[in-house]
Amino acid sequence: MPGFDLDRRRALGVLGAAAATTALAGGTARAQAPVQMISHRFPALEFYAEKMRGAVEGVEVNTQLMPFDKANELATIGLSSKADTLDIVYANDTTVHKYAKNGWLMPLDDLWAKFSDEYDLADFPERALAPYRYEGKLYCVPHNVNVMLFFYRRDLFQEAGKQPPATMAEYVELAKEFNTPMRAGTIKCLKPIDATMNEVHWYLNTIGDGWFDQDWRPVFNSENGVKAIEALKEVTGYAQRGYATAANDECTLALQQDLAAMGLQWASRTAAMDDPTKSRVVDLIDWAAAPGGHTRTATDGYAISAFTKQDPELLFRILATSSSAANMREGAAMLVPPRDSVLRDPELVKQFRQYPGILAALETAVPTPPLPEFYEAGEFITRRILQAVAGEMEVKAALDAAAAETTQLLESRGYYR
Amino acid sequence: MQTQRGLWLFLVPSGLVISLVLLYPLGYAIYLSFFNYYLGGQPPTFIGFGNYVALFGDERFWGSIGKTVLIVAGAVGLEFVLGLAVAFGLYKLTFGVKPLNLLMFLPHIVTPVVAALFLRWIFTGRWGLLDAIIMSFNIFPPDWLGTPGWARFTVILADAWQFTPFMILVLYAGLNTVDNSQIESAQMDGAGNWTILTKIMVPAIKPLILFVLAIRIMDAFRFFDQIYVLTAGGPGTATETLTMYTYALAFRLLEIGKASALGVMTLLLSALTIGLLILVLYRRDKGAF
Amino acid sequence: MRPSRASQTLLFLALCAFTVVNLTPIIWAFMTSIKLPVDAFSVPPKLIFTPTFEFHYQVWVEKQFWQFLINSAIIAVSVVCISVPIGTMAAFALSRMRGSGSRGILFGLLAMRMFPHILLAIPFFVLAQWLNLIDTFPAMIMALVAINQPFTIWMMRSFFMDVPLELDEAARIDGCNLWQVFYQVALPVVRPGLWITCLFSLLLAYNEFLFALVLTGPNTKTLPVAIAEYGAEDLNYWSLSAAAAIGIMLPIVLFMMALQRHLVRGLAFGAVKG
Repeated sequence: MPGFDLDRRRALGVLGAAAATTALAGGTARAQAPVQMISHRFPALEFYAEKMRGAVEGVEVNTQLMPFDKANELATIGLSSKADTLDIVYANDTTVHKYAKNGWLMPLDDLWAKFSDEYDLADFPERALAPYRYEGKLYCVPHNVNVMLFFYRRDLFQEAGKQPPATMAEYVELAKEFNTPMRAGTIKCLKPIDATMNEVHWYLNTIGDGWFDQDWRPVFNSENGVKAIEALKEVTGYAQRGYATAANDECTLALQQDLAAMGLQWASRTAAMDDPTKSRVVDLIDWAAAPGGHTRTATDGYAISAFTKQDPELLFRILATSSSAANMREGAAMLVPPRDSVLRDPELVKQFRQYPGILAALETAVPTPPLPEFYEAGEFITRRILQAVAGEMEVKAALDAAAAETTQLLESRGYYR
Repeated sequence: MQTQRGLWLFLVPSGLVISLVLLYPLGYAIYLSFFNYYLGGQPPTFIGFGNYVALFGDERFWGSIGKTVLIVAGAVGLEFVLGLAVAFGLYKLTFGVKPLNLLMFLPHIVTPVVAALFLRWIFTGRWGLLDAIIMSFNIFPPDWLGTPGWARFTVILADAWQFTPFMILVLYAGLNTVDNSQIESAQMDGAGNWTILTKIMVPAIKPLILFVLAIRIMDAFRFFDQIYVLTAGGPGTATETLTMYTYALAFRLLEIGKASALGVMTLLLSALTIGLLILVLYRRDKGAF
Repeated sequence: MRPSRASQTLLFLALCAFTVVNLTPIIWAFMTSIKLPVDAFSVPPKLIFTPTFEFHYQVWVEKQFWQFLINSAIIAVSVVCISVPIGTMAAFALSRMRGSGSRGILFGLLAMRMFPHILLAIPFFVLAQWLNLIDTFPAMIMALVAINQPFTIWMMRSFFMDVPLELDEAARIDGCNLWQVFYQVALPVVRPGLWITCLFSLLLAYNEFLFALVLTGPNTKTLPVAIAEYGAEDLNYWSLSAAAAIGIMLPIVLFMMALQRHLVRGLAFGAVKG
């Protein structure tokens, strides 16, 4: 019996060694190196990834899509090591400044000018490109615009004879009114960091004085800022259970399962509301600009790594092809096109019932401050705000602490000289 | 002695692999802890123990230690007690052991990245399974993930869920190695199950117990995936453990030097805990270790 | 003294109850994977629904998880075949050695395991990149072998410590050299421990995520990385993750079922202690 067992183990050993050797041999043979792309994943980006794969004849594009945090981790590891393992990198309006400041991305201005006619790049309004500029240079090709807008249950509102709120005060009132144990008045997404930032952005810009002043000094702890966070704290009393660890998915779910009557969510989530395989409230949700406006608008786009060994023109062609007007029109159900010709197309407004709300929201939407250290500061700020909301600290004390930490951070990065 | 020298040869293959593969990254990471290194571009500057001093003055650091110790103690304690009890039960069982063993081990097999999602679907407020079951009895359950105390409890439960099977399997194997004759003579002397377990079996498998506790403590200190998905360190900072803080430092603030220093502190803390454990377990017979 | 029927049945039922509670998340996840998202996350939870296997189909066929399974299998098997033998050899040596040298090594190994992995990700990437080994199997295999050593050595050492030195001496007197003592005398005795160590090494290599994320690429992508790509942003992703996670458990379960015969049979070796 011992001999039999050991024979099996020896056989396994040989198999293992053989596998390793063939892997070694196979791994080194590669012809035209495929283009490596890494991206965040949601349906619109899956759509674009497929377009990139078929963008240029004979060029293989390896698309790796994964949740934002992991994509960011991988991009950080790869780009900070100046490795050539990544060619095309996903960047949104918050990460692009950080990546650009660190010198990880290639400026696209020359390529943009060169290919402007061929791909009709003038169709992108400056409004779509501004979030992607750092020190005046453009770093990203926009593919999708996202904006947070107000979702509300038309049936419930009609029943109660109410209109969607136009001001924050009305919103708080309505949230309170609609709040029942079985169905919360509103959704709140307060999972650290990203979800909280989105909510806080709305409050700080509508009630408060914003995040920073022109010299990048924190102003979120001003008197109005304190009022804003106190309003946030009050509204959490009418929010769905589990809001403190709810991210976008949980909030979307709450709306889809009739667990809340209204709230703020991304435009990319609108289509899912009317999908019967996902939602119980098909055709019952309507959209409008958020009360008070000033919600966050984000742009999803793709940049070129500064350390790529591929031909930059080839990479740019891939990006310009995937972001063509035709593609944007094709995917209009799940994305909001940055190109003017598509966005302003009256056909879309007729075809998709979420578009009027989206366009209204875009009117007053505000991107996050173009500060490269914004997410890092956001780390401190959201922590403190969540401590305040959870009752661990007073709101004013929390915001002051956050302001102090942020100032310290920015000082250490060379600001305020 | 020739035997002793021969034994050193046995260490060579493993030693070679470890030094070639692990020593550089580990060494480099620890080396970086003495530098001020922001990943965003400037080359690292040497600051000696600066990072460590900064950490000692950082209230977030001390807060995270407290939470980590709580979660580690709670989780490993729960796993050990439960694991030993179930292993002993399996030991005494005379039928159906194999299928039970296999089924109980399943939670350990689930990929940690997704295990966190599974647990999320159980514990989430309102539509999680646990909430739904409790609410059907018309009791309003607490917010498992949203209140600080319960969040820590849930994290402990998450760790225990995935790793108690490990305890069960190893302790069960260990219990089976205990000499039958000793047990039989004790039984003939009228000893009950509790006495047999605590006075005979546990002392007999002390090295194994030390091993599982040490491994679990070490791993519990580095517990990351589940906390990240379940609470992301929240609500507020209720579940922000050392590893969560390290992640934030390394990948959000890109302060690699400080993160490495925190990693070294985590290492030292684990070592301290395990050292204490050894002292307690081998209080009486120090040479036996 | 034979245990009474009643107490045995009670014990069995208690253990069954524990198992059922323990398995609830997995059972629930399986049910989630065969429901449409609107049913899977509904309030109140639905126990009666029309099942759909589309997510399982999507995972294995459309998303081509079978390719990643092959990658995972290659890596996991290679890791076990390298890590367990060299670790066992080292464990044997450390269990027989006297003096502070061996204890120092043991603690050093332990210390290596205590360092947070997320901080090793970047140095590993840099090292592998410099050697041009990103997205190759050897890089991933060797990284996991090294990381796995402390656990393997410690575990096997515990088992070797239970093999009495008298056995070694008896064999020496019979004329065996050190290798024969190891291979023919000590090793057979700790065979159940060996299988357990194989199981845990396999599990570690199979489920490893962070280093796979950093060291693998399109050609060597493993299952955990593939699954992690679907964590958030669309309800369908959750159903896909559930289907994938349940599916990838199967190879390990099959391995365990084959392993069980060895475990239970070999565990009754109390006769060694004399």
